[in-house]
Amino acid sequence: MGGLLKAEFRKTTTTGLWWGLMIPTVLLAAGWAAGTGAIGKGIMDTVTGADFQQLTQLLGIEPSQWKVSLFGIARSINIATIFPMIFGGLAISNEINRKTITTTFLTAPNRVSALTAKMLVYVLWGAIYGLIIVLAVSLGTAITSDGNQLPDATGWLALAGVGVLSSILMTIFGVGVGALMGSVVGTTVVLLLYMLIIENGLQVVLASQNLPEVIGFLPNGSVNGLTGSVATNLFLQSAGSVPKSLEDGLRAIAGALGASDWWLSGLIFLVWTVVFFLGGWAITQRKDIT
Amino acid sequence: MHDGTGRIVVQNLTKQFGQVTAVQNLSFTVEPGTVTGFLGPNGAGKTTTLRMLLGLVTPTAGTSLINGRPFNQLGNPARVVGAVLEAQGFHPKRTARNHLRVYAAAIGVPDQRADQVLQLVGLGGAADRKAGGFSLGMKQRLALATALLGDPQVLVLDEPSNGLDPEGIAWLRTFLQSFARGGRTVLISSHLLAEVEQTVDQVVIVSRGQAMYYGPLEQLRRSQQSRVLVQPSDGNALVAALQAQGVTAIEQTPDGRLAVTGAEAKRVADIALQAGVSIYGIQEEQVDLERLFFQLTNGQYTAAGPNPFAAAAFQGPQGSGYYAPPQGYQQPGHQQQGYQQQGYQQQGYQQQQPPPGYDPYQAQQPPQGYQQPGQGGGFGGNG
Repeated sequence: MGGLLKAEFRKTTTTGLWWGLMIPTVLLAAGWAAGTGAIGKGIMDTVTGADFQQLTQLLGIEPSQWKVSLFGIARSINIATIFPMIFGGLAISNEINRKTITTTFLTAPNRVSALTAKMLVYVLWGAIYGLIIVLAVSLGTAITSDGNQLPDATGWLALAGVGVLSSILMTIFGVGVGALMGSVVGTTVVLLLYMLIIENGLQVVLASQNLPEVIGFLPNGSVNGLTGSVATNLFLQSAGSVPKSLEDGLRAIAGALGASDWWLSGLIFLVWTVVFFLGGWAITQRKDIT
Repeated sequence: MHDGTGRIVVQNLTKQFGQVTAVQNLSFTVEPGTVTGFLGPNGAGKTTTLRMLLGLVTPTAGTSLINGRPFNQLGNPARVVGAVLEAQGFHPKRTARNHLRVYAAAIGVPDQRADQVLQLVGLGGAADRKAGGFSLGMKQRLALATALLGDPQVLVLDEPSNGLDPEGIAWLRTFLQSFARGGRTVLISSHLLAEVEQTVDQVVIVSRGQAMYYGPLEQLRRSQQSRVLVQPSDGNALVAALQAQGVTAIEQTPDGRLAVTGAEAKRVADIALQAGVSIYGIQEEQVDLERLFFQLTNGQYTAAGPNPFAAAAFQGPQGSGYYAPPQGYQQPGHQQQGYQQQGYQQQGYQQQQPPPGYDPYQAQQPPQGYQQPGQGGGFGGNG
């Protein structure tokens, strides 16, 4: 298995795909974080300003303690994990497309070990992408946010943890979809269309039909719930008193409307990942390589 | 894990892709120390058979074993069998050396092995070039290098000459022969007999997914005994005399001569002299191996069913055989439809009738000439 792991890892490092996708990942993560940080700061500057003082006092809230950057961090991580998902999506579909899968299966004891090695290597790549994303997001957020809007070390670690976790899950989710589709273009188009457009449309419809809790069970909704729920929880911990009715709004801001607790969201997305991954595995296991 | 013999055994292998039967009940054995040619027209099921042997395609029925084991039970298969397959790909952006290092890691051989095999196949200078820029011939060499990474005991090559220049083909021939001479096994497929004729010792000839011949090439060649073409004054008398002497493989050629197989020219002349038949001309002729290969495989694209020529032959002067393959080289139970002779094989007068519809060779086919005697009568009967 050690040899196969080495072989699979070499496959990823001997072509340019990993850094070709890493560049836009970093740019998007840092840019999105800087942008949301700036928006958050702008809003907070207004809210904490003299004009709103009477209103906030009336509501009994203390906006100056609000760590609004948490929401930007969660959203930036979510959007940036699109790239490790694509990276995973190409893992098997590219081998089928280039017909290197033939040699892969000829040099492995069996398909189970070849695919296991591939999965483990892509777990590692998901973690690498996740770490880079967390760092880029932190950098972008720190540039534009005020110090008191940033999470403390514990909060940051919690977000970093779920960020890496969601990146790993997104990568393996991509591997599964890619193995199921078997086509590079098909996989890329389907993953991007679904994650960026189709499910967002679904979410709008569900929210408007007063069914936001369903969103938390969709693939994108559940993976967003990982980071979004942690961000919301961290925010509430330090925000002082926040009216219960505002919590849903906060979750929506964090990009996790309708999502469950972070661990439950993670479990739900894990189920999606396992379903697609096992489906792709089953197909690849039985496929006639012609 | 495996018995280490280097023997390949294919038993009753069948593969159906939907309605299409690609391989049908195919059996053969490849012995170590030989180069075995796996021959048949395009679409005969060669590639599918090799891919089943290598565990890439799941057979519908039957088994294929290397060293007594199915491919996926070989342990580290690339140490036992290396394969050069037609649709084997390379990532266009990966260099030749990196490609080999990926699979060297998978097989568990040291990285230096990548450079060794590159030198071996003559790609040493192209190690750092990306495979996407390789010519077809270079890709074939890189595929062979990949197959050799694990220093395997068995080599399986699917149409390896495709894209190779004449020099490359000559090199490959020498390489494979020396590989086999070291006691290892080589199975090489081709749709051209001529391409591998000088390389192989054994042949498996397939057509429409079925084995038509399996055995030493030498035996096939010997079965292609030279014919004696003789122009007698009285054909029937000579045929009767020959048959009386036990020479029964006699045919009529288009130009009215008799083609006698299984006897030397001298003996035919002696028999003719004894029978009082004058001989106006006599000539020995070596029949082309390629033609036999063609005859064995030409059923591929004809419709199944009774041979219309065969039916016509009963009615009189139309049918004319050209070459009768000697008995025993066609495996029992593997007779093809569309190629079968119905009640047409007469005592001592086997005929192989070409099916219709293969124009390129039509020119070689004799026009009707020999008067076919009545059914069951035999040649001598009319004399």
